[in-house]
Amino acid sequence: MNIEHDSDGQSLTDSLLNDSRLDGSALDDRTRWALRDLRRDIAPGRDLWPQVAARIAAGTPAIDAGRTTSRNRPPVAPLALAASLLLAVGLAWQFWPPMQSATQPTARLIQAEAHAMTREYDAALREVEASAPAATASRQPALRELDRSAAQIRTALARDPDARFLLERLRHTYSLRLALTQRAALS
Amino acid sequence: MLAATMTTSPAGTTAHFAPEDGDHALVRSASRGDVGAFESLYRRHVGRVHGVIARLVGYHGARAEDLTQEAFVRAWQALPAYRFESAFGTWLHRLAVNTALMELRARRTRPQGDGDDDALDQLGTQDSAGHATALSLDLERAVATLPPRARAVLVLHDVEGWKHGEIADALGMAVGSSKAQLHRARGLLRTRLGEQ
Repeated sequence: MNIEHDSDGQSLTDSLLNDSRLDGSALDDRTRWALRDLRRDIAPGRDLWPQVAARIAAGTPAIDAGRTTSRNRPPVAPLALAASLLLAVGLAWQFWPPMQSATQPTARLIQAEAHAMTREYDAALREVEASAPAATASRQPALRELDRSAAQIRTALARDPDARFLLERLRHTYSLRLALTQRAALS
Repeated sequence: MLAATMTTSPAGTTAHFAPEDGDHALVRSASRGDVGAFESLYRRHVGRVHGVIARLVGYHGARAEDLTQEAFVRAWQALPAYRFESAFGTWLHRLAVNTALMELRARRTRPQGDGDDDALDQLGTQDSAGHATALSLDLERAVATLPPRARAVLVLHDVEGWKHGEIADALGMAVGSSKAQLHRARGLLRTRLGEQ
């Protein structure tokens, strides 16, 4: 917003600095209006919805606990279960004690986590897709791309079995895939 | 920008544009778990939510976007508690403000923050998205460079039209402190406009 000038050429800055009524606290009407004019909508620089949707999917169980209408939303239940399990797996991985990782076969544990995560993900996905096959099929190109990404990550994990960051990427990809499928099923 | 979408009054009776007419049905659907309905609410209100958060964090692009995302996640989680006693837009706006203020309070409790606004003075000018640096010689920039707490009080009082009691509650401070911060913010505002 550029500083405005009134009819006699006085800028808002001048108005602020020269108003004899100001005692360090009060503002003249013109400045008050200018400040109030800052109140406007500002669109974010990018679409935040995909991240919001993914986080909603991961956090759905906590919301369900307090809802009386959860019986009306069957498509969410399997997704919520899977999302919570994925989250639990992710947290368990994140809080893995460093000492333990140094003394245990890290690669084998990461592989086990990845397999468990994939099993839960596959089960939840089957249930969600079965509840609304037509809707979930409509987004197949995007979903297929995510499936390809997940497959590539799993392949990379097989080649580099102690790469923890790949496990996190896999969890993120599964979460996003489930969130998009949930949106398609509920829309 | 979008100034034409609202009517304002310095007396604090701002009637901000809000697409409330269709909100109720969407809110009811979203409360039943309809993510598509919640996405519609997001699309309707994201500009307003991001706007107030951006003002509170000094137009820091990345932080404002992160907090906007956080606000909508919290809104989804809090929908069961929404009782339609106020307009959804009003409820969401309050939630967005609280989300930004919680982050502001969290920053104050970190050791490097030291609880001193002056130590945080640069926050409003460090903008990875380039918003602040792109601002011209104007009031918006001057507000952005205020210390966080002073800026929050000034934005809530002079821009959003909140009362000192509401600000004090939201920021966890005494009413007198809110008034003192406003006094400080206005003084700094004049000084910074004078420097430009």
